[in-house]
Amino acid sequence: MPRKALGIAALIVVLALLPTVIHSDYILTLLDLAGIYAIAVMGLGILLGFAGQMSLAQAAFLGIGAYTSGWLTTHLGWSVWAAMPCAVLLSALVGLAVGYPCLRLSGHYLALATIGFGIITQLVLINWKDVTNGSDGMTGIPPPQFGPWALDTYGRYYYLVLAMVVLSAYVAWRIKTTRAGRALHAIRENEIAARATGIDATRYKIVAFVLAGAYAGLAGSLLAHDIKFISPDSYSFDQSVVFLVMLILGGSSSISGAIIGALLLTMLPEVLRPLKSSYIMVYGAAVIAMIVFMPQGLVGLFAALRARFEHRSPPADAAPAGLIGEAEANPA
Amino acid sequence: MTAANAAAPNAVAAVESGLLEIRGLMKRFGGVTAVNALDMTVRTGDVHALIGPNGSGKTTTLNVISGLYRADGGSVRFDGAQLAGRPAHEIARRGIARTFQNIRLFGELTVADNVMIGRHVRTRTGFVGALIPGGATAREERETREKARELLAFVGLEHAADAPARSLPYGDQRRVEIARALASEPRLLLLDEPAAGMNPAETDTLVALLRAIRERGTTLLLIEHDMNLVMSVSDTITVLNFGQHIAEGPPDAIARNPDVIAAYLGGTLDAA
Amino acid sequence: MHFDPVANMQLLVSGLAIGSIYALVALGFVLIYNAVGVVNFAQGEFVMFPAYIAASFLLPAVTVFGTVVHWQLPVLAVYLLVLVLMVVFGLLFNRIAYYPLRDRGWLPVVISTIGVSIFLRNAAQLTWGSQPLVIPSLFPVDTVAVGPLHIRPQDLLIIAVTAVLIAFQYLLFERTTLGKQMRATAQDRTTARLIGIRVGRIVAITFVYSALLGTISGLLVAPLFTVTKEMGGLIALKAFAASIVGGFGSIPGAIVGGLAIGVIETFGGFYLSSAYVDAIAFVILIAVLLVKPSGLFGERVAEKA
Repeated sequence: MPRKALGIAALIVVLALLPTVIHSDYILTLLDLAGIYAIAVMGLGILLGFAGQMSLAQAAFLGIGAYTSGWLTTHLGWSVWAAMPCAVLLSALVGLAVGYPCLRLSGHYLALATIGFGIITQLVLINWKDVTNGSDGMTGIPPPQFGPWALDTYGRYYYLVLAMVVLSAYVAWRIKTTRAGRALHAIRENEIAARATGIDATRYKIVAFVLAGAYAGLAGSLLAHDIKFISPDSYSFDQSVVFLVMLILGGSSSISGAIIGALLLTMLPEVLRPLKSSYIMVYGAAVIAMIVFMPQGLVGLFAALRARFEHRSPPADAAPAGLIGEAEANPA
Repeated sequence: MTAANAAAPNAVAAVESGLLEIRGLMKRFGGVTAVNALDMTVRTGDVHALIGPNGSGKTTTLNVISGLYRADGGSVRFDGAQLAGRPAHEIARRGIARTFQNIRLFGELTVADNVMIGRHVRTRTGFVGALIPGGATAREERETREKARELLAFVGLEHAADAPARSLPYGDQRRVEIARALASEPRLLLLDEPAAGMNPAETDTLVALLRAIRERGTTLLLIEHDMNLVMSVSDTITVLNFGQHIAEGPPDAIARNPDVIAAYLGGTLDAA
Repeated sequence: MHFDPVANMQLLVSGLAIGSIYALVALGFVLIYNAVGVVNFAQGEFVMFPAYIAASFLLPAVTVFGTVVHWQLPVLAVYLLVLVLMVVFGLLFNRIAYYPLRDRGWLPVVISTIGVSIFLRNAAQLTWGSQPLVIPSLFPVDTVAVGPLHIRPQDLLIIAVTAVLIAFQYLLFERTTLGKQMRATAQDRTTARLIGIRVGRIVAITFVYSALLGTISGLLVAPLFTVTKEMGGLIALKAFAASIVGGFGSIPGAIVGGLAIGVIETFGGFYLSSAYVDAIAFVILIAVLLVKPSGLFGERVAEKA
């Protein structure tokens, strides 16, 4: 493992040095955004990738974090550093409140119930004008202050985002590789066997919801203080779908996959600029193609390719499925 | 009701203490009574077999004991404590582990991970503990890994530790399930048709494994259709038919019991 | 707040009309779910897409890919054309979004139907622009007087067509070989295959039938709303909620659930809050899930673990 640890450390150093080379605000903006989305996607990864529980409301949780942070700083004049933990906490609490009734559900029903929750959240954001300022959105959200520096340029904000991505990835990785993470994976793979093995599946699933909410809350708060303007449109069902696609493109239970997926799909629209108006359509087609041809996501694809180069039998042949390919019994 | 059944409660009361004591257990599915007023006692240290024709309520009984089904009546006592109505994970924590007739592994995870997950009830690290590197977390993680390796060696699968569980051949998957169950250091191990689908060589290995598990002091309650296996490993056999207890006793007595012979000849004769 | 019996009757009629639309879309969900065990998240686009196509041929002038076209055709010809196109659409959908993934469990199929939904919504925007289209009603008047009531004839048409379709489906399922094969496939695909039913074909027919139910709902509802790329999404979500409220997998459940949500929503929007009218279906859904998870007619909602 030390080789891997060294590699990750080197990668972080390289990432930290990027703003000294890249002076384009445009690219830094995109990197900030990609990092923020990566955090939300990692949260979804804990819920769907680890625990196998579908959610199509991740953007709504992001919205709860963004509005909490925005409101506390603009209406109450709180410091960003005080508002951010509150955003995380509130999102996590809502995750608890949503997770609890949703435990009775799985599969499609859970997906639908989370969509319903997302729609209700968006209606609240639009209609609770006293707090959210309705469809006009909330403006003038302050940037965080770090000692004498205001993190008000995209280059400076980048460091905050990078630090939070590293922290989030670390937490997700520690959970994944210890007892709690194994319990979540066990629930995903076979809930009955997990229960018979002594895992309190109910409790673990709730915690997965809470963690997904907390990650989204952090991402939402970071987003609010990054672009300094929030409106209900950014937290729609479509955005939740984008997060889901990012996760699945990367490889659903892989942390690096979540980050790569977020990065690629944040950059992709820019690369596809010539297609601009039809971009999202291409995106929809890409989703179908990806699911059909690349069931394990990019990370699975890389692993298969590497295995082929090393003249081992590609793991894709032995275990073609991953979460996405798993043939859960149809309940029909 | 047969004479054997009517006599059972008194006979049981005479036995000093059962590890698992089932009294008057009922389980219905809609109009069908799958388990009907079952009495059964599993003694500490025994290998106890539960046999009977297909559909006689054996697996249902196991599912009720392990908490996957809720009983409609009666009691299940384990080491004196009432289990009926408790959730499955709590029953596992109290020391009952099991395997499944239609193997239920964590298929995408490695064999080693499957067995490490079996340690769940014997370990403590939670979500918060996970965040602290080193210390108790690292120690527990190391011990869990070590224990899993020991158990894989015990069932003869250490070479397969890093393979995805579902890539293993059928017989090996059954042994992974047994290793996972043993990882929780159960006092009672429930095995649902451990020899199903095994060839004779694999079955021989299984018999040796079951004896070794017993040597470790684990009590076994197993459902099995392979009568050679049942006769060779069991201390006590309980025979069910239509959800009812029709006979109980040591293998040689059961083999001669007219009710048992009638049940098997009248029902499906699937004893090998 | 006063409870005016005339207003309440009018609300009831419009509630039943929108509820009929939910019921038809919910039927589409349930039929596909029963046949293949997955929920089709593109069901809303089965409503939206035909409405756009119909609008292109019903209106005197429509902008398609930035050019104004004059494709106006007689109403019946348009309806026929749309139905034929949607048969092809249903077959393609089965072939592309479902068939390659049929052995991989529910999640890949759900994601691919979400992909289709994104694709179609944005294809619609690309084709017809973001300006909503308005389809004229078949009727020359907005409302007719029935005693003291003022009723929209379109509402009555929706209710009538839905009733006919439900009767048709009942006969199809109870009386025809095809219907019986569809039911057998829904109950147990393996056995259906064993007794010689060509399951793949039945599944394709189910997708087509479900697309046609969506098409009819789209054509019926379009004159009441405007045609936008978003028109199907919310209808489909509420229909899905309705089918769970009714008891998922149950055909009477889908119908009753759809009608109930339509009526409750219409009354709720009038008496309680018009801003939150779109939340009502989901509040009902969550309440039902908490109190009676199996729905009104269903056996169980939580999928078997």
